[in-house]
Amino acid sequence: MSDSFITPPTDPAATVEFDAKLGTVKPHWRYLLDGLANLGEAGLADRQFKAYRMLRDDGATYNIYDEEAAPYRTWQLDLVPSLIDSDSWQPIEAGLLERAELFNLIFKDIYGAKQLIKQGVIPPEVIFGHPGFIRACHGLALPGEHDLILHSADLSLSANGQCCVLADRTQAPSGAGYALENRTVMTRVLPSLFRDSHVHRLAGFFQRLRTKLTNLAPSQEQPCIVLMTPGAHNETYFEHAYLANYLGFHLVQSGDLVVRNGYVWMKSLSGLKRVDVIWRRVDDWYCDPVELKGDSQLGVASLLEVARAGRVAIVNPLGSGVLENAALLRFLPDIGRALLGRDLRLNTVPTYWCGDAKEQSYVLANLSNLVIKRTYQSNSESSVWGGNLTVNEQQELAAKIKANPIYYVGQPLVDAQQIPALTAAGLENRPSILRSFAVASDSSYTLMPGGLTRFASAPEASAGFRITSQSGSHSKDTWVLASEQERKSDVDQQLARSINQADLESLPSRVVENLFWMGRYAERAEASLRYLRTVFITINGDEELSLTCRRNLLAAVTLQTGTAPGFIDCDDSLLLDPEQELLNLVANGYITGSVRANLNAMLICADNSKELLSSDMLRVVNDIHDGVSELDAILSQNAVAGPEELLDPLVTTLLALSGLVQESMIRGVGWRFLEIGRRLERTIQTSQLIQGLVVPEMPEADQSVAIQSLLLSHEVLISYRRLYGARMGVQSSLDLLMLDMSNPRSLSFQLEKLQEHLQALPRQHDTRHELPAEQRAALDASMQIKMTTLTALSARENGRRQQLEKTLSRLNQLLDSVSNFMSDKYFDHREPSQQLVRSVWENRE
Amino acid sequence: MKYKIRHITEYLYAEPVSHCYNLAHLIPRTTQRQRCLWSQVQVHPVTAASAKREDYFGNHCYHFEIQRPHEKLIIESSSEVETSAQLTANELDFSFSCQQVRERMQTSKDPELLLAREFMLDSPMIKASDELRAYAEPSFAPDRPLLSAVMELTQRIYREFDYCPEATTVATPLSEVLALKKGVCQDFAHLQIGCLRALGYAAKYVSGYIETLPPPGQEKLVGSDASHAWISVYSPGEGWIEFDPTNNCMAHEQHIITAWGRDYFDVTPLQGVIFGGGEKPVLNVSVDVARLTG
Repeated sequence: MSDSFITPPTDPAATVEFDAKLGTVKPHWRYLLDGLANLGEAGLADRQFKAYRMLRDDGATYNIYDEEAAPYRTWQLDLVPSLIDSDSWQPIEAGLLERAELFNLIFKDIYGAKQLIKQGVIPPEVIFGHPGFIRACHGLALPGEHDLILHSADLSLSANGQCCVLADRTQAPSGAGYALENRTVMTRVLPSLFRDSHVHRLAGFFQRLRTKLTNLAPSQEQPCIVLMTPGAHNETYFEHAYLANYLGFHLVQSGDLVVRNGYVWMKSLSGLKRVDVIWRRVDDWYCDPVELKGDSQLGVASLLEVARAGRVAIVNPLGSGVLENAALLRFLPDIGRALLGRDLRLNTVPTYWCGDAKEQSYVLANLSNLVIKRTYQSNSESSVWGGNLTVNEQQELAAKIKANPIYYVGQPLVDAQQIPALTAAGLENRPSILRSFAVASDSSYTLMPGGLTRFASAPEASAGFRITSQSGSHSKDTWVLASEQERKSDVDQQLARSINQADLESLPSRVVENLFWMGRYAERAEASLRYLRTVFITINGDEELSLTCRRNLLAAVTLQTGTAPGFIDCDDSLLLDPEQELLNLVANGYITGSVRANLNAMLICADNSKELLSSDMLRVVNDIHDGVSELDAILSQNAVAGPEELLDPLVTTLLALSGLVQESMIRGVGWRFLEIGRRLERTIQTSQLIQGLVVPEMPEADQSVAIQSLLLSHEVLISYRRLYGARMGVQSSLDLLMLDMSNPRSLSFQLEKLQEHLQALPRQHDTRHELPAEQRAALDASMQIKMTTLTALSARENGRRQQLEKTLSRLNQLLDSVSNFMSDKYFDHREPSQQLVRSVWENRE
Repeated sequence: MKYKIRHITEYLYAEPVSHCYNLAHLIPRTTQRQRCLWSQVQVHPVTAASAKREDYFGNHCYHFEIQRPHEKLIIESSSEVETSAQLTANELDFSFSCQQVRERMQTSKDPELLLAREFMLDSPMIKASDELRAYAEPSFAPDRPLLSAVMELTQRIYREFDYCPEATTVATPLSEVLALKKGVCQDFAHLQIGCLRALGYAAKYVSGYIETLPPPGQEKLVGSDASHAWISVYSPGEGWIEFDPTNNCMAHEQHIITAWGRDYFDVTPLQGVIFGGGEKPVLNVSVDVARLTG
């Protein structure tokens, strides 16, 4: 998200807002710090914990790429906001607005007349040699005065009102959503302090953003605006889902969009829906495999050509990555004079471009005192502070610079503002930087009053460190103080509205598919957990089990988890000591069919349909996440006493999830799909367990144990005993589990609900009255159960209950058909694509 | 000279392609020594959308989208082009010296020259290297006129490299071409461009056609012509001058230009994304360059 190096100030007095030792503080901090002090140590810790809970419950994460074990890290928010008084903010705001205008003009010039090159303001190599300069984007333009809709900058502030821009973000600037989330949490954790501090609100900025995106739409009637994300694995995916929800845009991925007949369409449940505006969070080169990176899986084929024809607006415009060019900073003062006719208000970090022979010598001679950056951010080579390098490393770097000088710049470290942060030792100063956000509106830009402040998590004694979210720095809300209280506008209300009911019909197909599978995986995991728990209880119980009885119980585990051969026809030794194998089936995510694998799959589906889950559901999803992480502990505890107890919390959490599906999810199409998934899977799971425990030939005593386990794992043992007493009768059990409509776990009950949901799905307009295929299959399944008799089901033939087996197997077939029909009809089947001819693509060195 | 050109590209797929998106550089552009009088592109099966535009380099490109399943894609591009000659060989000795050109490329503030510097930089398929510089250097004595030096390099490539279609593919790197001393017109053009850039000159990749004449006494065969590629080098004052290392000559009236760019990547005749299609599509290309009289 950022790549900026800073240093603690060389002259502390200049940039310190607060000094704990001297007890001094800049006046505008006084009110806040007194307020925090009044809370006391315990009070502060309590609020900090609350803030942490809220962020976690909102699912606010920042994905760290190299951490395989726990890639999702809860967003870190410090309770002490960064304060900027209105006198200091005014010049910063004016400077940043000017900078956004300037970058817009540079963009237009680079992809248009190229006057900056022709007049010798910037050397041609700065642009022509930059991998962010995309020739295919030449001449692209958006309606209105601005092509660059969003501009972000990382800057360091200082107390005397001077500030210095370290870098600009222009492709798909991230952070605005995190800033909004920080603000939301702060107003809930410190409501009165926030209210009395007269802080500028953020909602107006987002209102402008939405208005601007709406106005960019080629067709003005109810434009369809989407936020295009690379997907749930992206480092800032939380923010994509969060902003899409907050602004009421559809969150889409590459596969949700398709170009047909020269327009971009979203594949939705109600068919193809034309897309007018794409707010993209996918990098330039990945957006279109036809003209850009040919093997990109994150883009939409032919997107660029549609944009070129003005039939879709893409924000920020494709090609804007060229503005993130560190070498441009070297020439910015000259560019400002050439394009605006004046000196720029804001300072930029001094930059030496190695494409210039003199500056290259300077950089090489001062490697130890400079930050060396590539002009284009590259994964293979990140920026370094020369002072941290060994002599050998410096020589290697110098050789690289000499081989390709135009790709390198050197920059001195910039003094960072020190602001107080809450640490274990109380308030301590930390160096910080601010990311700003500007959006084009009408004839000018609007700046978010505030932004995302990030600070180094450790007090740095040495110079030359950087603040990036990837390297695990912390964030703060940024309070720009107004001289008087701002009125709360209706804007806040308007924006808070979520996607309305009509929009629910046009959900991307991918989202409903994920909800369907989320329902199925959750149910599958729950059913396995329940039965595994039952098996642990039974085999560890007082009663000595016969070998055949163990075989039956354990074979059913294999059948239910789909992990054959497993316990089927296994050696007796495994039957006598099955615990480790059972624990594996719970906690080993590498076994397909294990509880953990199912939960992981469920979590992925939840991530991909995040925008439709209520905040309560997200909280429970987080709990499941934690539960999954704790499974490792279960696996390592060899021969632990009572493993069944360790499974209880997960069962409870899954139950909470299904409860919330009922209680807190809007009854839209998404909910129907989730429910269909659940009902379908529950039917399959129950019938498989009946198949494993009731169908096979077994002695009476074993049958009794098997039935007891079956009832226990379905939570109906107690009801059964109340109804039928202690004898485990086959017919009465089958009645309870298959036919009894008053038992919410019976097959009949599931099938009834399944049919209800199927009937409620949107249908194509059709005058005929035949039932859709999936409804016919579900009805047939329901009839299979309804048309049987308990006598027939319980009858044994050659030892096995053949009629029961036949009925269950037919039932499973029909449910498979329901699933397949659903999939054919509603889900997107993305065909694999290939490049026609191309073996290279534009080099991104 | 006037020509009528017919260029047919045919893809046969192993499995049906459900839909596809393509971008073609198949229509001759207009240049200082060439005018495209008329052109037309026909695609089979019928396109769902198509558009013609000029790209960044001023080339014609043609976008199309097909939304019906097909196992065969045919693109037929027809055009009429009028060409004329560029400089003749005996003018080569009057250009700026190599030394002068190198200096001017670095210091001149002439806008045309500043823009030409784009073609001195590495491009997707061409990386300047010490090996390329070492190979070319003997021809470029500082006081020698640039164009005469480029002509010598053209001759050396022609003499020292074998034309051999089996030796290389589109993806063969330049270092390998230099080591093998084998390749086709595209490799030789890339090689010469790499040499020129390594020495500090601006050079472009030119793709197009060349009129071929049948052996004496025989009729010309239909479809026997082929796409061709050569280079263009920038000389301050004279502008862009074309050389053909495959045929050991400067480009003349029989060289018909389709498009130019930094290298093959910028002017790929047909690129795109197809959905379905199976493995290894079969590609057939046939080109006819017919001289029009009168």
